[in-house]
Amino acid sequence: MSEGQEVTAEEQQPLVVQKVQEQYPDAILDVSDARGELTITVRKEGIYELMAFLKSDSELAYNFLADVTAVDYSLMEDVLMKHDYARFTVVYHLLSTERKERLRVKVPVHEKELSIPSMASIWKVANWLERETYDMFGITFDAHPDLRRILMPDDYEGYPLRKDYPLRGRGERETFNFEEQNV
Amino acid sequence: MQKDPNRVPGEPMTLNFGPQHPATHGTLRIVVELDGETVVKATPHLGYLHTGFEKLGEHHDYNQYIVVTDRMNYLSPLSNNFGYVLAVEKLLDIQVPERCEYVRVILAELSRIADHMVWLGMGALDLGAFTVMLYGFEEREKLYSIFEKTTGARLTTSYTRVGGLLRDIYDGFEEDVRMFLSTFPKTLKEVHTLLTRNRIWMDRTKDVGVVSAEDAIDYGFTGPCLRASGVDWDLRKAEPYSYYEKFDFDVPVGANGDVYDRYLVRMEEMIQSGRIIQQALDNLPDGPVNVDDYKISLPTKEDAYGNIEGLIHHFKIIMDGHGVQPPAGEVYCATESPNGELGFYIVSDGSGKAYRIRIRPPSFIHFQALPHMIEGGMVADIVAVLGSLNIIAGELDR
Amino acid sequence: MGLESQLGDNIFTTTIDKFVNWGRKNSLWPMPFGTACCAIEMMATLASKFDLSRFGAEAIRFSPRQSDLLIVSGRISIKMMPVLKKIYDQMPDPKWVISMGACASTGGVFDTYTLVQGVDGFIPVDIYLPGCPPRPEDLIDAVIQIQHIVEQESVSPKRQSGAIAS
Repeated sequence: MSEGQEVTAEEQQPLVVQKVQEQYPDAILDVSDARGELTITVRKEGIYELMAFLKSDSELAYNFLADVTAVDYSLMEDVLMKHDYARFTVVYHLLSTERKERLRVKVPVHEKELSIPSMASIWKVANWLERETYDMFGITFDAHPDLRRILMPDDYEGYPLRKDYPLRGRGERETFNFEEQNV
Repeated sequence: MQKDPNRVPGEPMTLNFGPQHPATHGTLRIVVELDGETVVKATPHLGYLHTGFEKLGEHHDYNQYIVVTDRMNYLSPLSNNFGYVLAVEKLLDIQVPERCEYVRVILAELSRIADHMVWLGMGALDLGAFTVMLYGFEEREKLYSIFEKTTGARLTTSYTRVGGLLRDIYDGFEEDVRMFLSTFPKTLKEVHTLLTRNRIWMDRTKDVGVVSAEDAIDYGFTGPCLRASGVDWDLRKAEPYSYYEKFDFDVPVGANGDVYDRYLVRMEEMIQSGRIIQQALDNLPDGPVNVDDYKISLPTKEDAYGNIEGLIHHFKIIMDGHGVQPPAGEVYCATESPNGELGFYIVSDGSGKAYRIRIRPPSFIHFQALPHMIEGGMVADIVAVLGSLNIIAGELDR
Repeated sequence: MGLESQLGDNIFTTTIDKFVNWGRKNSLWPMPFGTACCAIEMMATLASKFDLSRFGAEAIRFSPRQSDLLIVSGRISIKMMPVLKKIYDQMPDPKWVISMGACASTGGVFDTYTLVQGVDGFIPVDIYLPGCPPRPEDLIDAVIQIQHIVEQESVSPKRQSGAIAS
C-alpha cells in the first residue's frame, strides 16, 4: 500500500473502484495497485453491505473468498498514521472465478472497538477463517454463528499473533493444565 | 430416516472420533452425534498440531522460513517451498532464470504425484484395500530417492531459495525422472484395475460426501476437490505462473462431486503431471539456476573464496538481519499445490524479516466443509469422505 | 548338562526371563502416535521397501490397550499432550517409548508458544531418535535398540524394579 500510486483520473480507475464509489461514495479510504494486486482500504461502517455488493453484483462477481486474516500494525508507524491509528487491519482476499481477478479489501479496526461484522452469511468459508482470526488476534466478529477459539485450547489466554505476544509464549508451555483437559 | 418403520427409537449417541484414530490421518478430531448409524451432527475440533508457523515467520528471515514451509505439508514439501519463494520473489519483484523455473515445475509436479500416491494409498487403506497402499508407497519410494539425490533429504527438502535453488539438479536427474515416468503409469493402471470398477470401492465411494459446484465455491474449495464438483478451475491455467502456460496439459473435471469423482480426478491429475514433466524435461534450458544478484542469492564458491566482494556478499546474506530485504509492501501469491490453492500473504516492513506471514491453507478450508458432507450419511462414510479430502494436519493447524 | 541330555534332542531348558523376553522382543506391537512429518516416515518404514515386519514389529495396533511400544512421531502441542499422556496411561505394562524425531524429543526447530519442548517431561522415554525426520533405517535401529532393552528386563517384580532406568 505504501508504495502504491494514487490513482487520480476517473477513467483510469479499475471497474471495481468505480462501481463501489458509485454505490458507496464514502466507503473507500485508499486504493493502491502494487505488484499487479489491487487493494482497496475501506471504512468499517457498512463493510457487510459492501462485501455483499462485491459478491452479488453481476459485473464484479467476486464469488470466491480466498482468505480472511488480520495484521497487527502496531509496530509500523507509517501504516498506523494512514489508518488513523487503528491498530489492526482485517484483510480479505477476494477472487472472481469468472473474470479471473483478485481483490484485496482491507478494513482498519481500532483496538477500542475490536469488532467487525461477520461475512459467514455471505460466504460459508468465512466461518472458520474468522474464528481463526478471532483466536489469533482477538478481533470479534459480530453475528458470527459460532465464535469460539479454533486452534488454541478453549481456556487459553492471550492472542498469539499480536505483536506484543512473545514467540515463546508467556509460560503457557509450563503452566498449561495438562491433567484436567477434556479429551 | 424418521419414517423408517424399522427404526428403533432411542437417544442419539455421541461418538468421539480422534484426535488419535487410525483413520484420521494425523491429529483430526470430530465429535459426531449418531442416530443409529446415521450422522446427525458433526463438530470438528482442531488445533492439535498447532505449531505457530505464522508467528515463526515474523522471527525468521526469508530464507530461513523455507525450512518451516517443508514441515507444514509433509506430503508435498517441494510444492510448499515453491509457493513460498514465489511469493517472496513477487515481493522483491525479481524474475528467476528460466532453468530454475523449469526445475521447480518438474519437482512441483513430481511432488504432486507423490502427494496423490500417498493420498491414494491411505484413502484406499481406510476403506480396506491394503494392497493399494503398498503400491502407492512403492512409487513414492522411487520419488523419494530422486528427491534425496536432488535435495539431500527424503522429506524435508528445503530445496528452493529466494531467487533460485539450493543447487542445480544432479547429473542423471533427467534419466531418473524419465525412468520414473515410464513406470508409474503402469502402477496407476494396476490401481485402476484394482479399484475403479471394483464393486466394493464403488459402493463405498459413489454418491458419498457429495458437494455441489455452488457449495464448493461457497466453501472455498480449490484444487482436486473443487474440480471433482465440476468447476474447471486450476490456477496453473487461470493465473499461470512459472511458465505453466507453455505446457500442454488437461485439467480433469468431475461431475458429481462425490468421493469417487475426487478419486478419478486425482488419478488423472497424476497422468497430466507426467505430461508436464515430460515437456519440461524435453525443453529444459541450460544456464544458471540462481538470479545474478548477490544481494539476493549466495555468491558462487569461487567468488566467496576468491574475492573480497563475494565474501562480503556471502557474509551479508548469511548474517542475521542482513539477508534478503524486500521493499516495504504486501503481496498475496497463490499457487496450485496438490491440495488446492496455497496462498502466501506476506507483509514486509522493509527489514530482513517478514512483518507478517499468513498462509492460506487448503486443508483448513476443506476440513470446514466436512460436517456439510457427512451429516445425513452413514458413520462408515466419514472415513471415506475424510480420506478423499486429503487433510494434512500440519497445514490444517499450522 | 545333565537334565537336557536326559530330555532328548527336542527339548531345551532356559530361564523364564529369557523365554519371555525372547517372545516379547520379537513381537513388539507398536502404537503409532503419529502427528506430523515423522509419521510419514513411520509409514514408509512399515511399507514394502523397509518392511518393519522383518523385525517382528509390524503388528500396528491403534488401540493403546493392545500395544506395548509407543512411537511418538511428530510435534506435540500443548493441546495434544493430555491426549498422549492418556494414551500412555492406557497402555498395559510392560511398555516402551520411542521419541521419534527432533520435535518429539526437544521441540526441534519449533520453539514456539504452543509446542511441548520434549515429551520426556510428561512420559518416560526409552529411546530418543534424532533426525528431522529420521530415516526409516533409523527407526528400524531404534526398534532394535528397544529389543536390547527388552532383553534386559525380568518378569520377576523384584528384578523388574530399576530395570527401566530411563
